[in-house]
Amino acid sequence: MSTSEPPIGPMVLTEEQAFDLLAFLFSSAEICLVEPTYYGTFRLIDAASRLMGYMLEHDPERSAQFVRHFKEEVDTKKGWMMWDREGYYDFLRSAPAVVAAELKRMEADRQLTAEPSKS
Amino acid sequence: MSAATSPAFVDQVLALMKSRRVCRVFTDEPVSDEHLRTLTEAARWATSGGNRHLHKFLVVRDPETLRRVRSVSPGMQVLPPAMIVILTDLEVAARESLQMDHDHANWMDVGTAAMNMMNMAHALGIGTCPVTSFSRSGAAFMLGLPPHLIPEWILIAGHPKSQERVLRADAPKPVRARDLTYWERVGQHEPQPR
Repeated sequence: MSTSEPPIGPMVLTEEQAFDLLAFLFSSAEICLVEPTYYGTFRLIDAASRLMGYMLEHDPERSAQFVRHFKEEVDTKKGWMMWDREGYYDFLRSAPAVVAAELKRMEADRQLTAEPSKS
Repeated sequence: MSAATSPAFVDQVLALMKSRRVCRVFTDEPVSDEHLRTLTEAARWATSGGNRHLHKFLVVRDPETLRRVRSVSPGMQVLPPAMIVILTDLEVAARESLQMDHDHANWMDVGTAAMNMMNMAHALGIGTCPVTSFSRSGAAFMLGLPPHLIPEWILIAGHPKSQERVLRADAPKPVRARDLTYWERVGQHEPQPR
């Protein structure tokens, strides 16, 4: 039996969108068996882009601005896999820190709104 | 000199080939049945190993079917107005005693039909994008294919929307025909006087 807490914040994916994403991920896993290995990175990044697209359809209050700008960047730079491999790899190396910074900002915001001022 | 070999015609054909690009952004305008029929006509006239005509061409315009096929096609970046799926007909393959695991002509024929369609689409002002990255089993299910028809390749088509390609200043330059071509021996990129 799960002991996890109920999710905090609004849901940003419908069941249909979640299944679209599941179909995409399972299909990607299958074709990764036969495609060049680095294509796997592209499938993950593309899945992330699709996830952000679905999120934006639900206009997430706290992260919409970040998601909108980052998706735009992802959609531009994922194409570099075909035309500028080194630029693409540099983007892959830098992207996690961008998401991590947004996570940290959201967490700080959450704490600010959850805790009363101690001053 | 026939019209088909006149210098002007040669220039037109080469210009058509050089200006074609993969299109990943389409308008909502549907592709006419007439244009789709012209694309399948172009596919029919592609080279076919042994004149076997191993492949069939499935035209899809229904938005729901397109959406479902896209869900199992990671290589399909956008939802297109139409697509043409090249199918391998295993009944023809059996009749022709083809050894499918070893016969590369199958893939050659997919490629020639694909290229004919993409060039014809460009001539018609239709944008196309080839899709090879999709789940064969998933697409077959979504398309309701009988077991003897295998989806090999998908061409998505629509009216092109302008798309800007943003690249770094030091991105690699496009490859030239010269880079890929050897004359008489490997490593010699220009012809020597004969």
